Amino acid sequence: MKDRSVILGLILLAPIILFSTAHAGEGIPDPRAGWNELWHELMIDITLIGLVFAGVTVYFMVRYKRQRPDEEGGSFKLTPLGAFGWTLIPAFIFMADDIFLAAKNFELWNDYRNVPENAYVVEVEAYMWGWNVKYPDEGIEVNNEMYVPQGRPIMVRLTSRDVVHSFFIPDFRVKWDALPGRTTYLWFYPKERGEHVMTCTEYCGLLHSNMYGKIKVISQDEFSSWIEKNKKEGGAV
Amino acid sequence: MSVSVESLNYQSRFSLKEWIFTTDHKRIGVLYLIGSFAAFFLAGLMAMLMRTELSSIGPTITENPNTYNVWLYFHGAAMILGYQIPALTGFFANYYVPLMIGAKDVAFPRLNALSVWLFWMGIVLALLTFVIPDPPDIMWTGYPPYSTMTPGNTALYTFTVLLIGFSSIAGGVNFLTTIMYMRAPGVTWNKLNVFIWCILAAFIIQLIFVPVLGVAVTMLSLDKYLGTNFFNAAMGGDPLIYQNLFWFYSHPAVYVILLPAMGLIYEIIATFSRNSIFNYKGILYGGIWGVVLLGGIVWAHHLYIAGIPDWMALVHVFLTLLISVPVGLMMVGLVGTLYRGSIEYKTPMLYAIGFIFLFLIGGLTGIPNAMSAIYIHITETYWIPGHFHYVMAISVTTAIIGGTYYVFPKLTGRMYHEGLGKLGFFIFFIGVNITFFLTLLMGVKGMPRRYYDYPQFPELEGIQQITTYGSYLIFVSAVIILVSWIHGLVAGEKAPQNPWGSRSLEWTHAPSPPPPGNFPRKLELTEEWSPYNYGS
Amino acid sequence: MSEHSLEHELRWHTSYWPLLLSVGILFLAPLAFTFYFVYNKPFLAIVSLGVGAPLTLISIAGWVKEGMEDIHGYGEGLSVWAMPFFIVAEALLFVGFFAAYWVMRLSAPVWPPAGTPEMPLLVPIVMTIILVSSSITIHIGEKRLEEGDNSGFLTWLGVTLVLGILFLAFSAFEWTELFHEGFNFKTNAYSTAFFSITGFHASHVLVGVGIFLCVLLPALAGRTNVAFVRSASMYWHFVDIVWFFVVSQIYFW
Ligand code: HEA
Ligand code: HEA
Ligand code: CUA
Ligand SMILES: [Cu+2]
Repeated sequence: MKDRSVILGLILLAPIILFSTAHAGEGIPDPRAGWNELWHELMIDITLIGLVFAGVTVYFMVRYKRQRPDEEGGSFKLTPLGAFGWTLIPAFIFMADDIFLAAKNFELWNDYRNVPENAYVVEVEAYMWGWNVKYPDEGIEVNNEMYVPQGRPIMVRLTSRDVVHSFFIPDFRVKWDALPGRTTYLWFYPKERGEHVMTCTEYCGLLHSNMYGKIKVISQDEFSSWIEKNKKEGGAV
Repeated sequence: MSVSVESLNYQSRFSLKEWIFTTDHKRIGVLYLIGSFAAFFLAGLMAMLMRTELSSIGPTITENPNTYNVWLYFHGAAMILGYQIPALTGFFANYYVPLMIGAKDVAFPRLNALSVWLFWMGIVLALLTFVIPDPPDIMWTGYPPYSTMTPGNTALYTFTVLLIGFSSIAGGVNFLTTIMYMRAPGVTWNKLNVFIWCILAAFIIQLIFVPVLGVAVTMLSLDKYLGTNFFNAAMGGDPLIYQNLFWFYSHPAVYVILLPAMGLIYEIIATFSRNSIFNYKGILYGGIWGVVLLGGIVWAHHLYIAGIPDWMALVHVFLTLLISVPVGLMMVGLVGTLYRGSIEYKTPMLYAIGFIFLFLIGGLTGIPNAMSAIYIHITETYWIPGHFHYVMAISVTTAIIGGTYYVFPKLTGRMYHEGLGKLGFFIFFIGVNITFFLTLLMGVKGMPRRYYDYPQFPELEGIQQITTYGSYLIFVSAVIILVSWIHGLVAGEKAPQNPWGSRSLEWTHAPSPPPPGNFPRKLELTEEWSPYNYGS
Repeated sequence: MSEHSLEHELRWHTSYWPLLLSVGILFLAPLAFTFYFVYNKPFLAIVSLGVGAPLTLISIAGWVKEGMEDIHGYGEGLSVWAMPFFIVAEALLFVGFFAAYWVMRLSAPVWPPAGTPEMPLLVPIVMTIILVSSSITIHIGEKRLEEGDNSGFLTWLGVTLVLGILFLAFSAFEWTELFHEGFNFKTNAYSTAFFSITGFHASHVLVGVGIFLCVLLPALAGRTNVAFVRSASMYWHFVDIVWFFVVSQIYFW
């Protein structure tokens, strides 16, 4: 009985041992990459746990199928020591995995919450049903569109005009709630040029699903000229 | 004894009066059963409409997003408040508790009747959703300030929750008293059925947390209709107060649902493996009580990005992950009960085994949610409906349906058709896995939940469509299951007292179906008696 | 088990009152509120109250009468054990309201917020004295009942009832005063907490008074149930204790 626990423990701990090699991160962390990596590890972790339980279940299902109608079960009873072991040992194994995951999460969470110093700041005001994007330094306002320079961390300050919304960019693995009466923030790191969806993920009524726009990542030069152009035209696009 | 049970013919005539004014726990249980299955079927039909709407981009069967939102509101609220909680803490608790502890009835039979009728009044109120011109469209979570600004009828939501909540509190008082003070001599604490422990734990949770939900939804209507400022940021209120109060209840509520469902699975697995529960005390003191203790202090895992302080998020990450320990112990107990058993695969047992697999997927997909950094991407996407349909909608429904097959002979005095039962199970199992595995997948790809339409994600149309087909399969299985019950009820063979060979009191000492007062003979339980005393 | 009781056991027990009470409650609160506040139909609201209130009262009366006769021979003796469970639930209701109050208060830049008049401090002190005395009087009444002194019990129960009603009168008086000063539900965060918490507490006093009436009326006809009286007074003590929180948190902090 004890042997089995040890084996089970080793199987469950395997992901911890395998993945405790810290990921090397130099300079500015990229939450998107960190997310993808941790997600991958996590999927392996929970799949293994699931397979262990499912495997044992299937084995028992076949092995202990009733052979004769009058067959009784073994009425298997644990000794007090056995009961302690079967409670504490699994508990510690599960807890070890939990602590490992919590620690991993702590790292990534800090990456998400600590905005790099050179981040470019954009303000987004959510309303029913759209996004008002402001460039505070330039006095520019755009609706449902956000232009950001490539290769620079972008910090978004979020507020809401009416109800709770949530600002989500699936491609960058970021989202945060926008609430009336307070300011929240998130940041992301667009490294390549391209277009991404930004969309609302907190239910906000009739056109909740239509509250979306585009994020356009353009090169630094294009971005500067875009700023210049819109400044001249007096703000609104 | 000169008066025999048969001679009194307490069963033979049907009297409507004896049903609707009944104070008998078994009949009250049946009233719960009818109400909760009605809610399930109706809310399930809403799900079919929703799934059909989602099967293509753009309007499919309705042009009006509000229609979809009302379906979804009704689906979520009715499934949780109208179907699962009443089916488990209403029907199964009522039916089993007095029978399993060897009592004639619950402590307060009339209060019990009040509970079931308050629940029914809640159902009546919820049904008004389809009648009034301004149905509630605030989702089952009812977040302000949207819910205090919407043209929809928020009061209906408030009062539905309050009626069903009050019914639960009355039930809690009743069942805690019953389990603590009305056990037959010989039915000691350490010999109670696991199901009874689960019910006890579930009602402790209800008693502590339902009032807080009641307060939260009351504040919604006070804000909306009387102009108070609880959630009005401009006037010194805070919408986060609601979110915290709501989840302070609604997280523990998932264990109100999970625990009795697991309890049913334990009973079924023990009976059909003819085995005693593996590590009974570990499950009890480590598992069930662990869930109760941790359940109340992890609610902020629904609010990681809602604007709560960082330290609170991180504490709740750890506590939430820890829940895998007690729940994991309960899983070890379930699987362990198969060990050296003698397993027979009747329909209830198929559902019980199915539960193990489905719950593994559901529970383990809760782990990413619990991790705040991972949560950032998957929250409010289809990953979340994927997680909770696996763990709640599907696992627990499996327990409820399997549990219903299991009590069927006791409840009706007749046997169901084994072939139909098994057919229903397999179609159900395939259907739910297609539907909800794809739901998980879409979540990772970023599909947000509560969306009437998804023009911004054209690449997901194909998966959405297959998901919809999967859900039609669930519908087919639901119809087969329903037919098998109706067939059993009208044409089933007469059931013996103990068709499964169980050792639990309701099978060994009460006829099928049990008469008023449950046990025709006085219970005399020996030292050795235990509900899981197999192999001797 | 005697033959007679077996025959009795083997009949399905019934009671009209639970179903009628639940219908009464449906009309009394949800429907009346909805008609009045959601659909602005005062007439329908009154009709709904007109159906709900009598139905509720009749059902409660019928319920109590049936309970006193105890035709089924079980149950109510356990009410002393059940009341603590109910009180736990009740206490959590107040915890919910207080939690909201504390959050609003502790996050406010200034307290009390603009628009709050000078709060009267004498009234709550008087109300405290009234409520504490009523807790003492019901305790004495309970002791009298246990000693078998029925008329003593009735007297003290009566006194308690009068004190409870007096408390409600003070509450109503205070509310009207504040309304006249322009301080109402909508004024600010403090008014929100003030009216909801005092109002909610007062509704508990009202329920307590109702319960005592359900004890008093049968008692006048010579029927009492000691367990029931004990649980009722337990409830009343609880309402009293909550009041200390209300006074200290809402008026004097
Ligand atoms: C019966 C219902 C039920 C149950 C039992 C659970 C169980 C769990 N849930 Fe779930 N949950 C819901 C119903 C349920 N949930 C619902 C309805 C929602 C959405 C509400 C809404 O927004 O509308 C939700 C949402 C939800 C969220 C919020 C997501 C969001 O806001 O976007 C989170 C976050 O942490 C979460 C986590 C968990 C965890 C960690 C468990 C754990 O209890 C799971 C524990 C089980 C296991 C882990 C598997 C078995 C254990 C082992 C095999 C042992 C070994 C395992 C390890 C060491 C990891 N759930
Ligand atoms: C116990 C809970 C439960 C159950 C059982 C279900 C069951 C189902 N759910 Fe649901 N669901 C929720 C709880 C539940 N759900 C919750 C809480 C939400 C979130 C709400 C919110 O966001 O606020 C949700 C949301 C939700 C969504 C997300 C929508 C969105 O975010 O936009 C979807 C989409 O696929 C869905 C689908 C389904 C399907 C296909 C089923 C199927 O399994 C249903 C199967 C049942 C039937 C098919 C009924 C069969 C009927 C009969 C047999 C009757 C025949 C008889 C006569 C006609 C007389 N559900
Ligand atoms: Cu804005 Cu949803
Ligand atoms: Cu939760």
